[in-house]
Amino acid sequence: MSILYPQNEMLESRERMVLNLYLVTSLVLFLVMMVLGLLMRLAQGAWMDMSPTLFYQVMTAHGAGMVGTAALASSAVMWFFLRKYVPLKTSIFLANYVLFMIGAVLLLVAIFIGKFAGAWTFLYPLPVQSLGVWSVGSAVLFMVGFLIIGVGFLLFYLDAMRGVIRVYGNLGRGLGLQWLFSGTVDPDHPKTVVASTMVIIVNSLGILGGAVVIVMSLINAYDPEIALNALFAKNLIYFFGHVFINITIYMAVIGVYELLPRYTGRRWGMSRPFLWAWAASTLMVMIVYPHHLLMDFAMPRWMAVTGQVISYTSGLPVFTVTAYGALTNIHRSRMRWRIPAMLLILSMFGWAAGIVPAIIDATISVNHVMHNTLWVPGHFHFYLLLGVLPMQFAFMYHLIGRDTDRSVSRSDRLGFWMYLSGGLAFVFMFLAGGHASVPRRWATHFPGWQVYDQVASLSAALVIVALSLFTVRICLGLMHTPSSAEPAPAGD
Amino acid sequence: MTAQMLVQIPLLLMAGILLVPVIPTRLRARAARWDQGGVSGLVLATLAMAFWMLPRSLDASTTDPLVALAKFLTVPLLIGLPLAFSWPRAGFIVRGVFLTEFVATFFRLGWLYRVSPIRLCNNYGLGDQQRLGNYMLWIGGGLLAWLALKLLAGNFKSLSPSSSPGAPG
Ligand code: HEM
Ligand SMILES: [Cu+2]
Repeated sequence: MSILYPQNEMLESRERMVLNLYLVTSLVLFLVMMVLGLLMRLAQGAWMDMSPTLFYQVMTAHGAGMVGTAALASSAVMWFFLRKYVPLKTSIFLANYVLFMIGAVLLLVAIFIGKFAGAWTFLYPLPVQSLGVWSVGSAVLFMVGFLIIGVGFLLFYLDAMRGVIRVYGNLGRGLGLQWLFSGTVDPDHPKTVVASTMVIIVNSLGILGGAVVIVMSLINAYDPEIALNALFAKNLIYFFGHVFINITIYMAVIGVYELLPRYTGRRWGMSRPFLWAWAASTLMVMIVYPHHLLMDFAMPRWMAVTGQVISYTSGLPVFTVTAYGALTNIHRSRMRWRIPAMLLILSMFGWAAGIVPAIIDATISVNHVMHNTLWVPGHFHFYLLLGVLPMQFAFMYHLIGRDTDRSVSRSDRLGFWMYLSGGLAFVFMFLAGGHASVPRRWATHFPGWQVYDQVASLSAALVIVALSLFTVRICLGLMHTPSSAEPAPAGD
Repeated sequence: MTAQMLVQIPLLLMAGILLVPVIPTRLRARAARWDQGGVSGLVLATLAMAFWMLPRSLDASTTDPLVALAKFLTVPLLIGLPLAFSWPRAGFIVRGVFLTEFVATFFRLGWLYRVSPIRLCNNYGLGDQQRLGNYMLWIGGGLLAWLALKLLAGNFKSLSPSSSPGAPG
């Protein structure tokens, strides 16, 4: 049997404290944001009264909060495993957390006190043209909050970049580019390093793009005479937005690479196709964003076409090598069926299934019909709720486990199935709504649409109960389990 | 305007950089104590740069001889000198933040100059301003490409594990 808790993953007490901050905060924020999501569904389903103004505030908070929290939790996964291979500074990891919290407070103040409701995408010029619903000051506060969060992540990536360069020489070697065409691939080159390097490159550029467009939007807020080119601003915003949310899965998937082989007891080797896949995705993730602009007829046609073609292929290489690798890893292995393993498999399924509606929607002719419908939230909730989050939960459950655990507790098993069934029903209601042409981002729904909203509300409630179970279990576990700080039990 | 921002100021900056060796070693050692990881120097340089990025400061320097004098003194002494002085002490992360901000500033200013419907400087025409904007976008892009290439394929001797363990960064 392979070792579940290797020595080189032990945490010192300070590291453990910071990691726990990340994990507990993420769980609590996920819960709060899900409740906000549920409130939106209840309001759309006419089971609850909510003024449209409040709805859009809630929608803004939910979008920004979920994207931020997903990134926070995923960066914890990346940090935990990457630090085995390259030196990382706990102080920088902590700084990212502190800046995140400061930024989050600004966002919440801007939304719930300043009444900012321009959606997490702060699409120019909406933030500064609220028709009196919120002040320019609130919009500024919101964007400054994003800026601060971005600085935190930039610090985290720079630290990781420094580590990778220190050990491997440069980022190209971290990605394994030297083995793309020739040479023997080092079978021990860590997949974690490859994935992290991709994330570092892509998200640093994404944050740079975000920092440019946010500051320009701030200048415009201060002096409206300096009008920006709205289409150009939209390009930058979606470059940043697409990259930032997409990268959460590429950070979290590190958990799959590291943990799955331990639970199956099988090695998962490094291969040339794996390196090719990550190198290709590094490029494609950055040029795929025009799929958010397929309806902008002023965009150059070649960009729209690139957006469509790359959307088909952008996620595929990494997904294919991961899914294929995972399946061969599991096939006929003596899998230890514990909660982390179950969640890992769920995440692979959620990722796979979430890709399908995404690809359909990235087709220009379909997009013209589907784009602003609930189909879109349907696709991204699929891979986020059932793909990214389960990867993160698998990691957290793994942390609180022990080598000696033999069976899955009743409540965990119940939680797992509730999460899965509630989550599936919830995303299918979005997809069904999209199929029935229900527009997204509408506070009020026609009676004919409300049945989807109501079923979705019930399913969302189920997900929330399941996540509450997870949260209690994981938080108690983190408090009680010194497993990661103590030497592993002898033997095994 | 283009000449002032892209030729004169960089030259003044270079002058400041060349000044470093002239400063007595003792003075440099003392200043170094106030410059952990190069942060103080880089912050000073950034603030001074921010001031000279304001169109109205540049404007004034072409009309008011006093402001011009201030420019000729402060750009070398408060930007070039501290930059050159602190850079070697700055670690990877501090440099990274500085360079990211530096590149982003080129993009922002370039964009700003291109779209601003008003002349930001009284002394220069709109055409000049827009041309400068284009140049700045190109410079930002070039810098970014160079950095990306360096990070992807370059050599980093100072970071390799064999170099002095006390090295910052
Ligand atoms: C039980 C869980 C959840 C519920 C009930 C929920 C509910 C909702 C609802 C009702 C909307 C607005 C749909 C519309 O346009 O009408 C929405 C949008 C959104 N959700 Fe969720 N959600 C959940 C989980 C998540 C998760 C896990 C994430 C990300 C990690 C997420 C990210 C987003 C984003 C980015 C938007 C787009 C906001 C916008 O259009 O500006 N959600 N969600
Ligand atoms: Cu996208």
